[in-house]
Amino acid sequence: MTEELMLIGCRKNNAAAQEALYNRFSPRMLGVCYRFAKNREDAEDMLQEGFIKVFTQIHQYRNEGALEGWIRRIVVHTCINIIKKNKKFSDSVEISQAHNIHIREEMIPSIMQAKQVVESIRLLPLGYRTVLNLYAIEGYSHKEIAFLLDIEESTSRSQYTRAKSMLEEILIRKKIIQKPRKKNLFFGNI
Amino acid sequence: MKNDFYDDGFELLLKEKADQFSMYPSKRVWHSIYNDLHPGRRWPSLAIGMLLITSLLLIGHLNTGDHRMNPKSNNAATINTINTNIITQNTINKTNQVNKTKAHQPPVEYYDKAFEDVITNETDFYTYTVVRNNRPKNFYYPEDAPTPEPGFVIDNTVVKNNETDIIQTVDTYIKSNRIFADITMYRKKKANPSVVLTKNNLQDKYPENMGEPEALNISSLDRSSLTPPAIINSKGIDPDRFAAADIKSTLLVTKVEEKKGITPEEKAWIENYALHNNKKEGSKFKNRLAYEFYVTPAVNYRKLTTKSKGSATAFANADINEVMSQKPGLGIETGLGFTYSVAKRLQIKAGLQFNYTNYNIDADKTNHPIITTILLNDPATGYSYPAARVTTISNNYNASALQPVTLHNRTYQVSVPVGFAYKLSSENNVDWFAGATVQPSYVFGGNAHLISSDLKSYVSDPTSIRSWNLNLGFETYMNFRLGASYNLQVGPQVRYQVYSTYRRDVALIEKPYAIGLKFGLTKGF
Repeated sequence: MTEELMLIGCRKNNAAAQEALYNRFSPRMLGVCYRFAKNREDAEDMLQEGFIKVFTQIHQYRNEGALEGWIRRIVVHTCINIIKKNKKFSDSVEISQAHNIHIREEMIPSIMQAKQVVESIRLLPLGYRTVLNLYAIEGYSHKEIAFLLDIEESTSRSQYTRAKSMLEEILIRKKIIQKPRKKNLFFGNI
Repeated sequence: MKNDFYDDGFELLLKEKADQFSMYPSKRVWHSIYNDLHPGRRWPSLAIGMLLITSLLLIGHLNTGDHRMNPKSNNAATINTINTNIITQNTINKTNQVNKTKAHQPPVEYYDKAFEDVITNETDFYTYTVVRNNRPKNFYYPEDAPTPEPGFVIDNTVVKNNETDIIQTVDTYIKSNRIFADITMYRKKKANPSVVLTKNNLQDKYPENMGEPEALNISSLDRSSLTPPAIINSKGIDPDRFAAADIKSTLLVTKVEEKKGITPEEKAWIENYALHNNKKEGSKFKNRLAYEFYVTPAVNYRKLTTKSKGSATAFANADINEVMSQKPGLGIETGLGFTYSVAKRLQIKAGLQFNYTNYNIDADKTNHPIITTILLNDPATGYSYPAARVTTISNNYNASALQPVTLHNRTYQVSVPVGFAYKLSSENNVDWFAGATVQPSYVFGGNAHLISSDLKSYVSDPTSIRSWNLNLGFETYMNFRLGASYNLQVGPQVRYQVYSTYRRDVALIEKPYAIGLKFGLTKGF
């Protein structure tokens, strides 16, 4: 089914079209949710809520930009809302606590690289993870992140710096990236 | 967004890898979304399921009777029916060289090719459906089959050529797995060309328990070759392109897209999720389990009747409820329990509950003990007999009354409610449930004031209370989801006692019932 047909069907609340659209985008969107969520069940809840919003707001999509991008933005916002609703965000970005987290070797999966990266991201504390997801992967600016998460822009920056540092350690141990011989080979200034 | 974002190799690596990552959600997610979007269609789901099964059977039955082609009829007439308003895309297979003179009237071989392509992984269901429903009359079908209808036909039904109908119709065909039946039929024919299908061997056409053909390994598709121009446009099938096209493309590709780049290793990884810091299998049980605490203040009523036999039947001569001054009392039920979601909408529950029942009677206290009788039934004969008792409480008829007093018929019970709750609807963070419980109860205390056989006195006799009883509870409530795991439940509840409060040998039969408002708090594990 073409994207155009799916959109027409979804706007008419046609279940077959909705299912087709869901089948097409849900695997990738679940991957997005999974990076934000605590576990798979939470990710599926986020996905469910996100797609309900997508279908109820589909009439607002004006064919400007990729449909997947539009859906992704809704899903990401849904994830953020759920995270914020479930836990006061500022409580979860305790830097001192995060520094003390010990990454055990057995916590690091080692099958597929994409999965390894995602699983590595998920090893980060919630605050680090969320900021890193939004900045590095979803492409939000620190200003936007600060607005979304109700935190200071400077907090977002510092969280991201520390998240990168911690993730770097994990990725090196997983041998996805190599330890830089010179400083800042992989990590330049933000 | 920061402009220099992509200048950083680290972010680029992260984004690239993260974007490659996808997971397959469980069916539960789509069902939940569907139920939210189409609330009117979900009740009663069993009936809809039955309707669906019946429809599929009916479609199957009709298809075996009416939708076959006559091999002796004219090809060209049938081919014209291909010109339906279908919108899709297909891939041109450059290696497929076709005689242009045949392009406007695709020969039987193209339909044959369609089957082959399905089997060899290169046909999409969408295009195949079009082909299948516009097949030549001499294409593997019994000689006595009728001429096909024009238009987009599925199972003898001409479908309007609007987009929604087409989507639904094709989906119906795909989901019905009939395509696999056709493939099997094709294979039979291929193995033994001399076989002629007739009404007598139609059962062979759609054998039961037909699984997906082994050859239909769609994961082997090369996506890079699937960026096709349309051979079927808004005006119908383009005969030139149709003839030159390998039947290969998008609806199947749409399905395949979900599996793009998925290797068996990746699939195994997804399915064996628990290896990657995810919840283990046992956690599914935990996720479905919740515990609850609830309190139900209730107003207690009762229905009092008599059961007497023989000469001493004073009760039978008056309406016992009329001669007593009775008032409902306030009781309470409170308990702890566990709920387990056996299905999306169905929960079973069990727990431990404390019940306090109370019913009031206005009476008078006498200034001296008096002797009276209560009516008992002989368990052996069933006949009633008066048993002498001493009391200081008089019904209002007694002239010796001195001071008014309120008698409390109370019981204290411990029960084990076992039942279920069914989710009737759900919107945002609120669910509407209805449920019922059976509550075997042990009465461990209380007091009973029995009216005397002459209806003039009350006798206090706690020993007349039955120790074991059975209650039925019915409730409906709104479940408010509070955050991640807490739920608040509020709703009316009715509890009815099945057996009399009193022992069998007491000639009075009391059946209390309570109407209350439940306040419950549940928390998931």
